[in-house]
Amino acid sequence: MLAVESLRGSNGDDRDGTLGNFPVSDDFGDEAFLEDVDFGDLFMGIDDGDVLPDLELDPAEIFAAFSVGEEGSGKATAVEGAEGALGGDGATRDVVVLEKEMGEEEKGVKSHREEVVGATTSEDSMVMPSELRSESPDGDKGRKPSSPSATRGSQGKRKSKVDWTPELHRRFVQAVEQLGIDKAVPSRILELMGIDCLTRHNIASHLQKYRSHRKHLLAREAEAASWTRRRQMYPKKDVNPWLAPTIGFPPPPPPPAVRPFRPLHVWGHPTAEAHMWLRRPVPPSPSLPWAPQPPLPPPPDPSYWSHLYQRGGREGWVPHAMTQGTPCFPHPLPAARFPAPPPVPGIVPQPMYRPIPPPVTDHSSSQLQLDAHPSTESIDAAIGDVLAKPWLPLPLGLKSPSVDGVLVELQKRGVPKVPPACG
Amino acid sequence: MGESSSASYIRMVQHLIEQCLVFHMSKDECMEALAKHADIKPVITSTVWKELEKENKEFFQAYTMDQAEKAMEMEAAQRIQKMLAEWAAKDSEKED
Repeated sequence: MLAVESLRGSNGDDRDGTLGNFPVSDDFGDEAFLEDVDFGDLFMGIDDGDVLPDLELDPAEIFAAFSVGEEGSGKATAVEGAEGALGGDGATRDVVVLEKEMGEEEKGVKSHREEVVGATTSEDSMVMPSELRSESPDGDKGRKPSSPSATRGSQGKRKSKVDWTPELHRRFVQAVEQLGIDKAVPSRILELMGIDCLTRHNIASHLQKYRSHRKHLLAREAEAASWTRRRQMYPKKDVNPWLAPTIGFPPPPPPPAVRPFRPLHVWGHPTAEAHMWLRRPVPPSPSLPWAPQPPLPPPPDPSYWSHLYQRGGREGWVPHAMTQGTPCFPHPLPAARFPAPPPVPGIVPQPMYRPIPPPVTDHSSSQLQLDAHPSTESIDAAIGDVLAKPWLPLPLGLKSPSVDGVLVELQKRGVPKVPPACG
Repeated sequence: MGESSSASYIRMVQHLIEQCLVFHMSKDECMEALAKHADIKPVITSTVWKELEKENKEFFQAYTMDQAEKAMEMEAAQRIQKMLAEWAAKDSEKED
């Protein structure tokens, strides 16, 4: 806390003197900006709207703090940040706003900040901020409501109620996965997330919920996996989708390889966050291709299935369980499509129509290779699958570009018609 | 209905690209794969990819970073392997 305050107070001047904490040297290059402008603006923007609805941003205080020693540019952006962000609608937007503003002035800072915010593994950029961050949340959060010099904290309220927006949650998950679910300690998560508006307590409780939810999910996935595997072992019999659920679920001793083939480190961030985060925008539009679903009988427990099979339901945990609304998708494909399970074992977590997944056995070595590069057959199989079954939901559910936009672009590049007449 | 066939075509390409993303392929790899396995012109793949990127900036940023990380790791692994090989070779020389 002290570090933060003194940082605020003596920005351009005498940092090493006042900030005993910082291991960082006193060069005021980019790093100085990173600390000065970065947090302040970051803080202000995020602080403002949704992430912490209860925390009030007091521009006056911030300005006062900034004016003490802040570079003029930093202050200006701070001001803009405060005003622009006030009444903002989303943490993301705030951050974006901030980024834009900062970008105008300090591009270097911006890239730093993105790194920081994005919680990359870049150690350098994290060293400094991590110190800062771990200090600040404590001091600011609400534990020191009445300290006027708690510049960072213009939050008067004690409550540390956090609104876990999808964006925030995504960052949280990213941080957790980076650390390892077992090693994810709130303070480190905080550092990685780089959001000053969160207290360790917020993170801790969120983490607890997340963990219990995951256990639940993993257990279910294990069941599903074992069920799927069993299906493959007994080809003819269990192909009948009607039977499948009843067979699989009641008994299942989970197979020895209950690999968390989903989250942990296998996939790294994009997938994890992509699913988590992208899942939300996956809107009703895919409902069209799903509607037909002729071959598929409605499974016994729709919400269960959709939850389970849509990307392992990690999204289901996102505060809005939108999986409820999404129809289940064809489960019993694999037997039909893949004569031999492609050697893509644990690597293929998400695309649900590949429940072929975690065929443990001899694939461990190929798994390693696959990690490096997917095999041609598996790609071919995947592609063929997509071509053959266009009604399948998109595996990642990325936001689709506008058709017109794409067509225009294509025309610019000399592709007048789509699909092209001659492939 | 020229439009809807375009739209569905584009959606298909998007679907294929997402599949490649699941495999953590790069844009070029994706272009190659789609051309090879699905007869889709690389220029189309590339365009759709770019548009997807525009619409999903954060995702692609994270994706790219991850790719870079992986590339570094692989590089490091290769270097280590090389060193080991050299060392092993030296060893056998010494035995002579």
